[in-house]
Amino acid sequence: MLKVLAALAVGAVLAGVASVAVVNVAAPTAEPPNKPLYNYGDR
Amino acid sequence: MLVRLGPVLLGLAFGVLALGPALGPGFVLRYDMVFVPDPPVRLGDGFPRAVPSDQVVAVLSAVIPGEIVQKAILLGLFVLAASGAAALARDALPGGGIVPRLAAAAFYAWNAYLAQRLLIGQWALLLGYAGLPWAVRAVSQAVSPAVSPAVSRGGAVRLAVALLPAAIGGFQAMLVSALTVLPVAALRQKGDRGEGGGGGRARAVLTTAGVLAVLGLPWLIPALASVARADAAADPAGVAAFAPRADGPFGTLGSLLTLGGIWNSHAVVPGQEMPALAAVRLALALVAVAGFVRLGFVRLGFVRRPAWWRGLATAACAGVLIACAGAFAPGAPRALIGWWAGFGPLRDGQAYVAPLALAQAVGVAVAVTALRAALPAPVAVAAVAVPVLALPTFALGAFGRLGTAGYSEEWRRVQAVVNGDPAPGALLSLPWSAYRAFSWNGGRVVLDPATKMFSRPVVWNDGLVVGAGDGTRIRLAAESPRARRIGALLAAPEAAPTTASPTAPLSVPLSVPLTASPTASPTASLTAALRREGVRYVLAGGVDENTFLSRLPGAALVYRGRELLLMRL
Repeated sequence: MLKVLAALAVGAVLAGVASVAVVNVAAPTAEPPNKPLYNYGDR
Repeated sequence: MLVRLGPVLLGLAFGVLALGPALGPGFVLRYDMVFVPDPPVRLGDGFPRAVPSDQVVAVLSAVIPGEIVQKAILLGLFVLAASGAAALARDALPGGGIVPRLAAAAFYAWNAYLAQRLLIGQWALLLGYAGLPWAVRAVSQAVSPAVSPAVSRGGAVRLAVALLPAAIGGFQAMLVSALTVLPVAALRQKGDRGEGGGGGRARAVLTTAGVLAVLGLPWLIPALASVARADAAADPAGVAAFAPRADGPFGTLGSLLTLGGIWNSHAVVPGQEMPALAAVRLALALVAVAGFVRLGFVRLGFVRRPAWWRGLATAACAGVLIACAGAFAPGAPRALIGWWAGFGPLRDGQAYVAPLALAQAVGVAVAVTALRAALPAPVAVAAVAVPVLALPTFALGAFGRLGTAGYSEEWRRVQAVVNGDPAPGALLSLPWSAYRAFSWNGGRVVLDPATKMFSRPVVWNDGLVVGAGDGTRIRLAAESPRARRIGALLAAPEAAPTTASPTAPLSVPLSVPLTASPTASPTASLTAALRREGVRYVLAGGVDENTFLSRLPGAALVYRGRELLLMRL
């Protein structure tokens, strides 16, 4: 029973972290600006 | 049946979840991923980076619409990766049941490596990644010729089939595969049927090397010819540009261990740097590594050390070392590339972390097997979802980073005009920069589609510009000799005013016509020089038409649209 509870706790933490991440990124995010010329990328 | 199809269905489900909006109508265009309607079958100038992937896509697109081909490839990556990892886990844990296999499948089809390489558009490399578990299995199952030459030939054929995705992907996919399968062949352990001794190993290495060489011929021949002619340039500055970087709080090494660390900060999934998420991924990686190590050193009843274990462990360590070299000892790859351009592929070292991903996937299966013994089955099954929870923002096309777009009618008309002209001559694509960010593509950065669209040689600036993160830019020399010559023409002092900005190589095609005198003589010499270089068409996007045309007297305006301008010299 203890193991099941521990597994549930770990699962709840994982789900919580994932939810926070999703909620954060679901807000509008900055995409690279619209330009005719652009770097391959930025480090 | 469900046990057999489980990993396939899981891979398909993960593919649908990860690609999301990218499965809608239109093309997915992002960084190096450029698919175009009706692509021609042709070889390009310069280093054969897209050989034979472009040609295979062109042939398939002659039968099936290109956008369907692209979506099938992208979904196929997930299915192939998941089913392969599950098959390898089955080899390692033959009595382990379906749950560990699904856990391995889930991990291999949903991790930072796959996400980042997808977001930078390197689907061809991912073909090699997806086929990697199948290639490892094929190498380890190939028996010694001493047993039976006929069976050995069958093993070589199986290996060739397993390496086919990598062969289609081209040079980078094959290099990652070679890094993995050669150690597996060399360090293969004696199996249950007595195969795999010393002599067998030597033959297995030769057979594996032979299959790799034959499948690599389409790009190997032009690449080596180019290097031998000394017209291929691999700028050692690329080591600084493409070295792995920290994409989370645990530094570059922590990023690599969690299968991330790609050089491009725009190729990470949103929120990837969040400490909590990074900590979950690091914990998962450590558990996975522990599981893989345990598989190699502990005899666990039904668990046995697979024949490929030592080889895969060696390949994983070698891959991490190659990646680390760019970040922690850049002098070594710089010296190698400076000595011989053939070492150029070492500059993007994070690509070689792929065998570590496979080793970790197997390690996750081992860990889940142990978990199943300790926990009720439904709880253990939930472990399959852990990779998704550790990288949740890979879902839905990384929350819009991947999406679809349709080419405007202008592109199709220009393509029809140029490809309908039987006269020889190259097309010069301007502005003189490799990457674009079109409004119709949602501002996503993508390689110039002109590089794939025309049936004649296309001259484009394959010299790359990478933002260094401190406001400066790292500029790499162009690889194609003709691109270098034409780049010099466009940037020549007599063609460009001395008042051009310090960022001239990037902005010359736009700034020069806007500021040069329409009556200046250099314009006439530019037209003539381009003709001498074999240029027949100039395609320009986003330029000031009136001033640009003045630079090319004698050129006929073939097409004028809001976005594109096509001139024939």
